[in-house]
Amino acid sequence: MTTSSSSSLSLASTSTWVSTTSVSSSGKRIQREMVELNMDPPPDCSAGPKGDNLYHWVATIIGPPGTPYEGGIYFLDITFPSDYPFQPPKVVFRTRVFHCNVDSSGNVSLEIIKDNWSPALTITKVLLAIRSIFTKPDPYNPLVPGIARLYLADKAKHDELASEWTLRFAK
Amino acid sequence: MVREEEPKQSPRDPKIQPRESNPIETGNGPSGNGLLFSPRFKSAAAMAGWDEESLLIASLVVEDTPEQDIKQKKRSVFRSKTPPTNSSRRKRRVQRKSPISIPVAVLDLDYEETTKEEGVKEKVEPQIVVGNEEKKTGEDDKMGESFGASCSSSKLPCLDKLRDELSCAICLEICFEPSTTPCGHSFCKKCLRSAADKCGKRCPKCRQLMSNGRSCTVNTVLWNTIQLLFPQEVEARKAAGALNSREEADREIPEKAFHSSNSRNQSRRVSGRDVAVRRRVLLSQDEDEDDPAPLAIRLQMREAEHQNRELGSLTRPVRVSSGREIRAIRRVSSRDANPIRRRVPIQDDDAALALRLQREEFMDAFRGTSVQSSTSLSSARANLRAMASRAANRGAATRFM
Repeated sequence: MTTSSSSSLSLASTSTWVSTTSVSSSGKRIQREMVELNMDPPPDCSAGPKGDNLYHWVATIIGPPGTPYEGGIYFLDITFPSDYPFQPPKVVFRTRVFHCNVDSSGNVSLEIIKDNWSPALTITKVLLAIRSIFTKPDPYNPLVPGIARLYLADKAKHDELASEWTLRFAK
Repeated sequence: MVREEEPKQSPRDPKIQPRESNPIETGNGPSGNGLLFSPRFKSAAAMAGWDEESLLIASLVVEDTPEQDIKQKKRSVFRSKTPPTNSSRRKRRVQRKSPISIPVAVLDLDYEETTKEEGVKEKVEPQIVVGNEEKKTGEDDKMGESFGASCSSSKLPCLDKLRDELSCAICLEICFEPSTTPCGHSFCKKCLRSAADKCGKRCPKCRQLMSNGRSCTVNTVLWNTIQLLFPQEVEARKAAGALNSREEADREIPEKAFHSSNSRNQSRRVSGRDVAVRRRVLLSQDEDEDDPAPLAIRLQMREAEHQNRELGSLTRPVRVSSGREIRAIRRVSSRDANPIRRRVPIQDDDAALALRLQREEFMDAFRGTSVQSSTSLSSARANLRAMASRAANRGAATRFM
């Protein structure tokens, strides 16, 4: 009787235990990143958990000066997978932006959060990379080919449109 | 000491003599060791389990990679008596490497001071640890030279830098059992392994391909360094790891074991009390009895009924000889039952031996349930009886009182 009760108890404890460890290793890392981000935030960026859930963050990037996105505040949603450092976080723009690498639903085409993800990368680096696409769009790997074409053909027009969008959506 | 022995060294090998007069060599005589390994490095290496000789060999392997070079120099050393090389360090090594006439003692002579330092090291360890490790990590981890100098002067900012430098890029904590990739980046062994499993066999830091086999070996020096520098972090993580593995491995065992050990303890305690009570009864019954045999038999019969027979076997023969002895031994055995006071010194050898035997008997009795070990038990008991009676016969009545 004792054995059966103990085994059932241990079974229950195992199941909960497995889930907690897998969560905690990624959770620990996310927590650490949060602390580091608060201590040493990247320029023009901020990020933090949306609510209680450590795995859902919201981030903001301020449009870098000297670009048509200057002065715009862009909100992003960040979702961490449960095996986080080994899988890239999902980053989605919540603010509409006129950019060839950001589609209408906010998806970003950024190699380092897709195939070129490395567990040594952090959210800080991801945010900096996203910020850098504001200054240097990559029209050769576009998500919105029309904008990319415009960017290559008529940059002035592109910038005009982009700053218009910035004024409309990001301020 | 070094100065005494250095002249001894030179006549032993006259060819070396002229080289010993080399200004560099004589200039830093004993401190010249620092050229090869700083004492700190050596002591740290000793902590890592490297003895001096292996360290030397390792340095030979690492630094003097062109083997031919060494041979050539050796030859030239033996043909021409003139100092053929410009680097005194190289020469030394050549001389050491030639197995011909140089006794092991020469090694010791060369490193007199470092060995002395090592001797002292154990006591000084806590203080030098930080300095040591900073040095080593500088070597290991390709750290910036920037903090190398400032380390010794200011500890805390340096420690922060070290923490950054020694933390795993994957879990962002201090590397636990660091494993170094061929490209020179270090991560926790586990982190690196799971990174290789889930993200392909490329270095997480520089994306260079890494071979599978090497990714699983722990960088011992780095690991020791980390253990010395961040003992708390390492301990915490070890504890967590131990907890995990224990929960994983003997998920069921601990509870059972706990229960059984508990009950075992209880039974032991009960039996001990039982036996004591019975003994007292027997004592009052057989106080005047002189013949041990019938008593022993009677006791044995009673004990046979009882499952736990440990204590009786010891007290039985002794009690026969003198009442005081029993009390003494009972005290001893109760001491034995009490784990905290177990280490109370026992003056008498025989009593100690008997105690040990008794413990063994305990073990035997508990290993098997009841009847299984009766033969071994009885033989042990016979031994014990002989011992105890011998002890008693010495008539050391004052021994325990």
